[in-house]
Amino acid sequence: MKNSQFIKRSENIWEIPVDFKRGMKVPARILSSPRLIEGIDDRVIDQITNVACLPGIRKYAYCMPDGHVGYGFPIGGVAAFNRDEGVVSPGGIGFDINCGMRLLRTNLALDEVRPMAEELLNELFRTIPSGVGSKGYVKLNRAQFNNIMEKGVGWCRDEGYALPGDAEHIENQGMIAGADHKAVSEKAVARGIDQMGTLGSGNHYLEIEIAASENIYNRELARTFGIDRENQVLVAIHCGSRGFGHQIATDYLRVFEKFVRQLNLGIKDKELMAAPINSEEGRSYLKAMACAANAAFVNRQLIVHGVRDVFRRIFKKSEEELGIRTIYDVAHNIAKFEKYEIDGRVEELLVHRKGATRAFGPGRPEIPSDYRESGQPVIVGGSMESGSALLCGTEIADREYFGSTLHGAGRVMSRIQAKKSVRGDTVKQRMKDKGILVRTGHLPGLAEEAGHAYKDIDAVVEAVDALGISRKVARFYPLLNIKG
Amino acid sequence: MPFELTDIHTTADIGIRASGQTLPELFRDTALGLISVIGEPGEFKEIRSIEIDLAADSLAELYYDWLSEIVFYKDAERFLPGRIQITDLDEEKPKIQAVLYGETINPLRHTLKVDVKAITHYCFRIEKEGLFWRGEVVLDI
Repeated sequence: MKNSQFIKRSENIWEIPVDFKRGMKVPARILSSPRLIEGIDDRVIDQITNVACLPGIRKYAYCMPDGHVGYGFPIGGVAAFNRDEGVVSPGGIGFDINCGMRLLRTNLALDEVRPMAEELLNELFRTIPSGVGSKGYVKLNRAQFNNIMEKGVGWCRDEGYALPGDAEHIENQGMIAGADHKAVSEKAVARGIDQMGTLGSGNHYLEIEIAASENIYNRELARTFGIDRENQVLVAIHCGSRGFGHQIATDYLRVFEKFVRQLNLGIKDKELMAAPINSEEGRSYLKAMACAANAAFVNRQLIVHGVRDVFRRIFKKSEEELGIRTIYDVAHNIAKFEKYEIDGRVEELLVHRKGATRAFGPGRPEIPSDYRESGQPVIVGGSMESGSALLCGTEIADREYFGSTLHGAGRVMSRIQAKKSVRGDTVKQRMKDKGILVRTGHLPGLAEEAGHAYKDIDAVVEAVDALGISRKVARFYPLLNIKG
Repeated sequence: MPFELTDIHTTADIGIRASGQTLPELFRDTALGLISVIGEPGEFKEIRSIEIDLAADSLAELYYDWLSEIVFYKDAERFLPGRIQITDLDEEKPKIQAVLYGETINPLRHTLKVDVKAITHYCFRIEKEGLFWRGEVVLDI
């Protein structure tokens, strides 16, 4: 597909009309920048226009500036479906249900951490299980795991794994309603029960980052979110629901496969298999998805508990002195019921965000009270060489884009290409030269996550800032990185 | 080569292209390709075995379920096989019986590369081309 076939709606919006592909019910819109749109993959166009064909889709199928090829939906895809006429598609959520980002603030500054950097890195690596086959430090029985599925971070609070303020600063307060453990298979439980509190692998990471004064774009918002000192030390965590969520997605794709065949829904890509939201299968999947989402919130919370423990031991300071608090925790692989006005009517929609983040603007009741006047924090993960970014949701996101924005930098180079382009030890040395220390269980694998395998995080952030769907708050550069 | 790793279908993940003169060869070698993404199959000693017995409505579904089963045991029992013996594979009434010989994952002894979350349906195929069975699978990493 040539970019000339797009209709340019504004400096950062390209539209693909409904006559582009048979069956499209709404146009697709690519949110990008003149530079990024040049590099867009034809397969992303194919995928987002397939999404536009799904029953009950409303307004537009959106692809965010970090969009790249996924399965079914592109990664960076956002689509909303009418509750009565629409479908739920696991391909619009991803195998890693509620993969997301947690950002923590601390009272520490770079000067205090740098002398202990290596010790801190090693202790975090030892304490936070990562990589293939890792087990969490909390031994759970089935009843406890059922509670995790249904109560989310509420379970952590009851068991002493969360501090006051943690749950309030997590999307949905760390618990998606409607979870029912009976909708989950024994296989999913078997895969996940030993993995709570583990980082996983691939692009998942735990990173110690620095908020330098020159990289704070909006001081007032930064202060509201707890970034209030020079060269402040932050902790970013990127992971999801581990094998538990992966198995739920695998199980339900098989259920939906049979369903789609029976109903002849005309799905163009098997990964877009879907069921009507109001069908028994659709309802059951949503209950199971909520279980996985809650487990993912707990997974990140248990990692936070481990991080706090390590910081106390290394810096020999109290919880209060360290001031490790959750800035926010966002899901970027999820579907949620939300209400939006379309053509003058308020509709309840199931908003799918696949590699996309909720970005509610000021005033929304879902935002914690201390942030409500500002808007919801949005945490954007970059590559391990670039660090991450903190943004804030806007009214434009609410009004135009189903309260959604981007989630990360987005890959531009495959894992195989990246490994051919550079060696893992070269990446490690390159990072060391920049002052970034990294630990991983598999050194050659670092090549797959090298900075040049990803889009420029600043370019994608600029694109959403220019669109007005998120406001830039700050950029953080990495100091220590643990790769699963 | 019975399998190769490929990136033709995906940017973020890894694909496997496998072929075999027989269906059991294709099933076995695709599974070994999957294990080679996660670790080094040759490093997993035959300490214990797991029996697999699966049936499906179609050959493609059986192929998908078979590979998903390897991913399942990788997490549920932290088990990866180094050798796979397929004892029965019926194409007409799709079903498979097999034994996985391997051991519990040990980060101190095993090369562990990257985790596989799931087998996707994206560009998934299994078909006979001339004398060979060919399969293509994209793994979610």
